[in-house]
Amino acid sequence: MKMENETTDRPMLEAVNLSKRYDDGVLALDGVSFEVKPGEIFVMLGGNGAGKTTALNIFLNFIDPTEGEAKINGIMTHFDPLKAKELVAFVSENVMLYENFTAMQNLDFFASIGGKNVYGDKDYRDALLRVGLLEESHHKKLKNFSKGMRQKCGLAIAIVKDAPAILLDEPTSGLDPQAGHEFIKLLDSLRGEGRAILMSTHDIFRAREIADTIAILNRGKIIMQKKASEIAGRDLEDLYLQYMAGHNSEVESPAIGGV
Amino acid sequence: MFSILIIKELRAIIYSPKFTVTFAVCAVLMLLSVYIGINEYNRSVIQYRTAQELAEQRMTETTAWPNLINKAQREPNPLQIFAGGLNYDIGRWSLINREDSIKLQHTHYSDNPIYAVFRIIDFSFIVQFILTLFAILFTFDAVNGEREKGTLQLVFSNPVSRAKYLLAKCAGSWLGLVIPISIPVLLSLLLVVLFKVPLDGGDWIKIISFLGLSLFLFSFFIVLGVFISTLIRRSNISFLTSLVIWVVLVLIIPRAGVLAAGQIVYVPRVAEIEGRRNAFAKDKWAQFEAKMENTWIERSAESGGGCSSASDEKLWQWMKEDDAARKKVEIEIEDYYAKLKEDLRRRKAVRERSAAAISRISPASAYQLAAMSLTDTDVSLKTRYEDSMNSYRTLFNDYIDNKAEDAGPTGQIMIKVSSEDGFDMSSFDSDQSLDLSGLPRFRHPDRSFSESFYPAIIDFGILGIYTILAFIGAFFRFLKYDIE
Repeated sequence: MKMENETTDRPMLEAVNLSKRYDDGVLALDGVSFEVKPGEIFVMLGGNGAGKTTALNIFLNFIDPTEGEAKINGIMTHFDPLKAKELVAFVSENVMLYENFTAMQNLDFFASIGGKNVYGDKDYRDALLRVGLLEESHHKKLKNFSKGMRQKCGLAIAIVKDAPAILLDEPTSGLDPQAGHEFIKLLDSLRGEGRAILMSTHDIFRAREIADTIAILNRGKIIMQKKASEIAGRDLEDLYLQYMAGHNSEVESPAIGGV
Repeated sequence: MFSILIIKELRAIIYSPKFTVTFAVCAVLMLLSVYIGINEYNRSVIQYRTAQELAEQRMTETTAWPNLINKAQREPNPLQIFAGGLNYDIGRWSLINREDSIKLQHTHYSDNPIYAVFRIIDFSFIVQFILTLFAILFTFDAVNGEREKGTLQLVFSNPVSRAKYLLAKCAGSWLGLVIPISIPVLLSLLLVVLFKVPLDGGDWIKIISFLGLSLFLFSFFIVLGVFISTLIRRSNISFLTSLVIWVVLVLIIPRAGVLAAGQIVYVPRVAEIEGRRNAFAKDKWAQFEAKMENTWIERSAESGGGCSSASDEKLWQWMKEDDAARKKVEIEIEDYYAKLKEDLRRRKAVRERSAAAISRISPASAYQLAAMSLTDTDVSLKTRYEDSMNSYRTLFNDYIDNKAEDAGPTGQIMIKVSSEDGFDMSSFDSDQSLDLSGLPRFRHPDRSFSESFYPAIIDFGILGIYTILAFIGAFFRFLKYDIE
């Protein structure tokens, strides 16, 4: 399904000088700005505590930013969260669904609360088949699903919700290579439909495979943001380590200088 | 959206294994308790009728009005099937005659002491102890459990407002437990109908109110569980907290309230009252004897050669004066004793009210008090019967007095002492049985629905307020809840 504003240049997801300081004083995000247009995959790379999940949580209005704005199709998420959330689907690192519900029942519930009441069993079945979940698993309870199957089910929910923006938090973490590859292929097809995809990961290989734009985050700041075409032919792992080393030495000893 | 969230909650509850266990336990316990309650009631009815027939037979065998003794029986109450209350703790009958004051004797527990140890499980017990525990066990992780599982994040990545979610959580949990539990409740009512328990319209309204009250208590514990799950982030800690709160509310406060009231309001023991009465009587009689001694000394002096030299007329007058003085002392002692008993009764009433007020801090106590009031097995049951029996005793004694006067000296004993015949005692007993057709019969103190419901209004209000407060607490806590 093609998104309406696929061809426009208006960003679907936009972070404007986004900062978040928690109550304990930790600065998790420090003036982060980026945008993701329809039909684009934006990957946030970074280690633990880099601020990737915090950025996603602000987009989902799980937390409010201390400064700056997160917008979905121009709607500020902390100003009108319900309207903003109609436009976004979320797949977490460990997709946790209702264990005692079948895949179909989970899809039905999440599609319904996503505001799409017009969907029926056929749509759920199609979505599950599309993510590679065979028919016999559709009526199985989620407690019998492997992690890979759960992640696929999470993506099927995002597909059924038919949201123009998809946020993914470490979606391929813990998946076997085959499942990871299939997952990335699915993301590629969703990009092809014009969906704006914002993904956080520390899997450099997958980031390289799928990203249109890659941003490296460290200690709440974007220390590098480049189009995939700009770093074509370069070893992303080397680049990542270089930027990280440069930024860390800059933070620890500003006189030495960084990247 | 709201209905979708509610349906999800319903599904989640019905699919959970703990629901199957809960449902089975509740169904078995409820049906069993009502079945046993019906049997117990039927046995009480048989016992009541037999005792009535025996009392009637004894009265018909009596041949003199002054010797007539009746036994007023407490009629079994069919509502005891649902809430036994104090029904089993209060005596079943009292003797009605001039000599004995009203005293309800032979409780169910005095006949069957084992029941006093392991008290009868009735419907109100199941609601108060088992359903409330289940309500807490179903909701202690309503919010924090979803956060731990990760489903809360996925839910709130969708356009779902927190207010709607929380309301749906409460409503869904409520429906998810109430709808299935209503099946054994309806079956229990069906049992009551099938076993032809005599219930009139007023009784049915009381039963419906009692079930509504049970729903109030159940709702409070559901909302309380949700509130705890928003207050505490980890479900294992909220489980322990919920259990502790349940123990305090259901087991400790109701008993502590009674103990606290006992400490605050002093109520003398019956032995103390008797002791004070005896001391007062002893003092009065000592004064009386001293006064008599003086009087007789004065009389001897007045008559010249001692009392024996006084004329018969004078002696007769003195005897009348002495008798009047003696009666005056007796009346004074009786008045004092009546005042002591009235004071005891007033203090007991104050202590009962204080105990009820303190224990009403616990919604379980409020429920128990209201349930007993609605089923007419509350703490006033004893005084209701005692008052009613006292009124009947007055009627009965007046009737006997009138009849005895009409019948002449029947039943009295005549003692003759003469120097010629010596000592002779004869009675005026007749062999004919008495005509008891006009004898007033004891009427049970029936309570209308409004009389039973009126004392329970405060408890309905308390339960309603507690539920609203718990929901408000959960609501404001959840608005700021960190769903990560």
